[in-house]
Formats: sequence, structure tokens, C-alpha cells
Amino acid sequence: MEQESIYGEYRETLNNAMEYIMNAINATREDIKETKGLDPIEHCLARIKSEESMREKCRRKGLPETTESALEKIHDAIGIRVVCTFVSDVYAIKDLLVHLPDCEIVKEKDYIRHAKPNGYRSYHLILKYKQKIYAEIQLRTISMDTWAALEHQLKYKQNIGGNLKLIEEELKRCADELASTDISMQTIRDMIYEERSETA
Amino acid sequence: MKILLAEDTKDLNRVISVALSHDGYEVDQAYDGEEALDFIRKNGYDTIILDIMMPKKNGLEVLRELRSANIVTPVLMLTAKAEIDDRVEGLDAGADDYLTKPFAMKELFARVRAMTRRKTEYADKQLQFADFTLNNEKFELKSENSVRLSVKEFELMQTLIINSGHEVDTNYLLQHVWSGTPEAGPDTVWLYISYLKGKLNAITSKATIRGERNGSFRLEAL
Repeated sequence: MEQESIYGEYRETLNNAMEYIMNAINATREDIKETKGLDPIEHCLARIKSEESMREKCRRKGLPETTESALEKIHDAIGIRVVCTFVSDVYAIKDLLVHLPDCEIVKEKDYIRHAKPNGYRSYHLILKYKQKIYAEIQLRTISMDTWAALEHQLKYKQNIGGNLKLIEEELKRCADELASTDISMQTIRDMIYEERSETA
Repeated sequence: MKILLAEDTKDLNRVISVALSHDGYEVDQAYDGEEALDFIRKNGYDTIILDIMMPKKNGLEVLRELRSANIVTPVLMLTAKAEIDDRVEGLDAGADDYLTKPFAMKELFARVRAMTRRKTEYADKQLQFADFTLNNEKFELKSENSVRLSVKEFELMQTLIINSGHEVDTNYLLQHVWSGTPEAGPDTVWLYISYLKGKLNAITSKATIRGERNGSFRLEAL
């Protein structure tokens, strides 16, 4: 007999909530494209955590493998990652999300203004849709996403050896260089647009 | 600290190298210009002492060859009293200092110390302004967060910190930060000022740079 889904009867509700948030993001994306002529989003991923990962996470956290755990104790059944073009786009999309109707902000962490000690940068949001469904949203630039993806891969290679402290320092340096480049690109963009609007 | 001594008078060469070694320097001895160049091609030195009058190649020829090979090691020329033109020519050819024979060993030591410390001691490892630091080993701009700067951003920030007591104008910055880049102009300065303003904000510093495009600039702690 097939095991019952950990999401119970809420699978559809999860899908709807995810679609609701994605539609809102896409509408704003089109809006910005229309008015500014620039796409604020490089790409956007959304997923509902797989049965297996959700059960594994319950076990890891010492929670019973129930629908209640999956929907109320754990807050990333819905995961959305918005990879933006420029730093200011991250904040533009964030502003939309924190004002989204039917959603309340449960948690908000700006790891861009307050980078983690290892150099990690992202804007983290946990929203609660219609007082029931949680969604974890990560917003970051292409550079921040690049760093997070590569750092994630390297983290699992540490047991092959090497000077761990040196590696951590160097990864932090890479994060700081990418962050610096993000600001430079933003500055160049602002300058181009400022001059274009002055001559217009 | 490693020093190359090129002096063809054997006794003087021996006296100087013994004294320098005694003071903790590692000394290579050359007795003519060609031997000096051989040493320079094979090793790195912290200071080079060159006598002007030497067989095979004189000190000025050695100096010109090493400078044209982009070797920037500090050079101290040893000259005779009558050789004013040599001294001028030597300084123009890229010597950092000269000493007239006969000299007191004490003075030679003082000049060697002055030349070797220039690189290390004059520059602080870190400059501070308000709530941020600029580290010149890592090119790191740091407050709560940190970012790494490019060479020109670093030099511009360094100049702004050093001159934080007063305004510096666009021309001054062009002459001091972009001296080797004739194509740089006021737009370059403004773009780099804008980069640094953005980066100060990104590291969550409260400091900013005051000033308008084409105008004068000054760091300001808020």
C-alpha cells in the first residue's frame, strides 16, 4: 500500500499558495520590465519540498512525520528562490513580497546588509499565506547565487583535506569581491540611467 | 635584508661588507659592473649599493640596465667628491640616494636603513576613518561587512582618508590617483567616487563622501 503523503490533503493548498506568490512576483517583474525596460529577475525557482526530504527533515529535527510537522513546525515546504539582476532589484521584489495581500511576514533577515561571517549574502523571508501555509523565499543577485552555489559544492569536499582556515578565508574573500562587483555594476547602471533621463 | 654591494676597490668592499654583515644584513659582493648585473639577474635584493667608477661597466650603466629591466630595488650610488654631474645623472637615471666618498660608515648605515624602511615602515597596514578601516594588505574595506576593492578604488579611498581633514578637488585626484592613466578624466573620478559611496553603504558604514560631480570631495562621518 502506498504511504500517505506527509502533506495529507494540503498538497493542493500548497500548490495554490506557491502559484499565488509566483504570480505576484511575475506580475511585478512584467511591470518593472515595462516601465524601466530592464528585467529585474534573472531566474526564479519554486518547489514544494519532496516527500523524502520533508520526512528526512522531520527526523533530523526530532519531529513526528506528520502533516502538522510538515506544515506548521517546518516553514520551507514551499521554497522560492528569486535570482535578481541588480542589488536594487532584490529590494524592489522584497518590497512587493512584504506588502502582498493575504500574506504576513513571519521572519525577515537581510543577510545582504548584514552578511554572514562566511560571506554569505541573501535576503530571507518567511511568509504565511492565509494564516496557514508557510513559504520560505530567498532573494539574491546573480553574483550572490553564484557564490552560494559554488560554496555549497565545496563545503562537502572539505573532508578531502586542505588548509580549512585558508579555504574559508579565501571563500570569504571571493564573496567580498563579488559583493564589490555587484555594487560597481549597480553604480554603472544607475549612472547610465541617470544620464539617459537627463538627456531625455 | 639582502644587499648587493658593487665596489671595485677590494679593501673598501671588504670593510663595508663586513660591517653590513655584522649589522645583520646578508651581503653579496661584486667587484665590477658586469658581475653586479649577474648578481642582480639571479637574485632579489632589498638594496643595491653601486660605486660609479667600476671596470667593465660603470655604476651608471648598471643602474640604467637594471631600471630598464623594471627592477625597482632602491639604489644607493657611491661617488667621488668631484663628480657632481655623475650624481645628478645617477639620480636622474633612477638612483634613490648617493653618498660621497670618503664617508663615515655610520652615515652609510643610516642611508641603507632609510632606503629599506621606506617600503615597509612608512605605510601603515591599515587606515581608519570613522567606523571603517581600509586594509592595504588585502585591499579590504571593512565596517560591519567587508568588500574587496580594485586597485584604483583602493588608491582613491587611501587618498581620501589621508586628506580627510580637507577637501580634494577632481584635478588633484586625477593627478594623484590616475597619474599614469592619461585617458582618465572627471567622469572617471565621479564614477569611482560613486563606487566608493555604494561600497561604504554596502559595508554598513555611516561614513560617506561629500561632493558633486567635477567638484571637490571629502570623507564625512555621519
